[in-house]
Amino acid sequence: MKKLLGLALGVLTAIGGFLDIGDLVTNAVVGSRFGLTLGWVVVVGVVGICLFAQMSGRVAAVSGRATFEIIRERLGPRAGVANLAASFLINLLTLTAEVGGIALALQLASSIEPWLWMPVAAFAVWLVVWRVKFSIMENVTGLLGLTLIVFAVALFLLKPDWMQLATQFLQPTVPAAGAAPEASSTYWYYAVALFGAAMTPYEVFFFSSGAVEEKWSIKDLGQSRLNVLVGFPLGGILSLAIAACAAVVLLPRSIDVTALSQVVLPVAAAGGKLAVAFVLVGIVAATFGAALETTLSSGYTLAQFFGWSWGKFRKPAQAARFHITMIVCLLIGLGVLATGVDPVAVTEFSVVFSAIALPLTYLPILLVANDPQYMGRYVNGRITNALGMLYLVIILVASLAAIPLMIITGAGA
Amino acid sequence: MTRRHNTRTIDATLSLLDRQVLDADDVPVQVVTDLELTDVALDHPIPVGTGAPVITALLSGPVLATRIFGGRPPTSRLHRIDWADVAEIGVAISLSVRGDSLAVTWVERWISEHIVGRIPGGRNDPE
Repeated sequence: MKKLLGLALGVLTAIGGFLDIGDLVTNAVVGSRFGLTLGWVVVVGVVGICLFAQMSGRVAAVSGRATFEIIRERLGPRAGVANLAASFLINLLTLTAEVGGIALALQLASSIEPWLWMPVAAFAVWLVVWRVKFSIMENVTGLLGLTLIVFAVALFLLKPDWMQLATQFLQPTVPAAGAAPEASSTYWYYAVALFGAAMTPYEVFFFSSGAVEEKWSIKDLGQSRLNVLVGFPLGGILSLAIAACAAVVLLPRSIDVTALSQVVLPVAAAGGKLAVAFVLVGIVAATFGAALETTLSSGYTLAQFFGWSWGKFRKPAQAARFHITMIVCLLIGLGVLATGVDPVAVTEFSVVFSAIALPLTYLPILLVANDPQYMGRYVNGRITNALGMLYLVIILVASLAAIPLMIITGAGA
Repeated sequence: MTRRHNTRTIDATLSLLDRQVLDADDVPVQVVTDLELTDVALDHPIPVGTGAPVITALLSGPVLATRIFGGRPPTSRLHRIDWADVAEIGVAISLSVRGDSLAVTWVERWISEHIVGRIPGGRNDPE
């Protein structure tokens, strides 16, 4: 019974922890502009993150080495430091977006200006990183994040034309290049953004380092696989529900999503105050959870690259540089937010840059997952490798296409 | 060196450089950034029968810039971990000594004592 509870807890945490500000905003933006015609990208992204997280979790459980130790070791100092710089900066951008997201969600709940909430949010994140045990942190934010299921409930309450949604999802029509030249490139720009939102690099840093934090071994591989293969796809369904809600309520009224309030609007229209209360709890939990994960990831990447002592399972004084890094990163994020940038805009950029940087994390993991010195008999099987190669191509294409698309479309304007 | 290695041959670039070094309690110490070898005299013919150079220490220090742009930092900037302290070479390099006793961890100790250890809760386990 206790074991079953443990399994359920892991899966539920994975569902609740799947969504972050990037998924919330990007799915709503895409839903309000293209309906469910980009739903297939969520599916591709979810399969990718399952594959990727499962591989990095397995590498960490079997070899005890987390992602960035491997990146340093495999790529050497030159490519390694370029990789570190790119990954670290994009993670910092995501961290900024998440802290801003907490503030925006709290603003919706309290109508107190977000810039007053930002320092509170950052301090709360630091306090959890400083004092709270890893497993408690994971479970609480994950379980509270489950309240985002209200998006799926809202979709049913909205009584949409299911046939129309299904047609959009199953037979997506790409806007023809001839009709409006910018229409099809905007479609593909948002395809890349949605892909980046589903497969954010920090999730991999966090997942593999978390495996070391929780001292996973080979016998935990089953649980890890279950969490990923059940939890993430269910999280992906929530992503689709957000997009569908936006498609049903916002698209016909041509409301553009430029703020978090518009993300919440369909839920409010469907379920009233109670639903809004649920969704706000969910958004705060999801962004807070992701802010914790990105803050920790900033420490993980730097500490693992330079070989410093790291981990939340240690006393802060025994992982001093790790903790200092996280404090400095939170302060930088706060500084960026203090300039008055719109956190939603930061989010939209962060997901695209995530897609650009993805090959940097992906390739070393794929290489090491096939290295018998690290993995012994737990190297990738044939199917995993076939999928891995396929995704390597997809990731490279998305990464290379991102910047030209960004320039052509004026960042999706 | 007193320990006898078994006859496993390893590639130093692949298995030593840029590997994580762990101390006797599995606490990360540093990444290996360079190796110290026994001297081979320059500009002199090497007599037949001379043994191959032997690794005497793992070096750690601010060599990232020099490995990217060329050149090398002065020897005084590098911290040595004596080869005799190496216990095992696997996916990480394990030492037989504690990290606190090594000069290379001074930055960690300084930050720990002067900054992180002074913030309330810094010396307690997470709850």
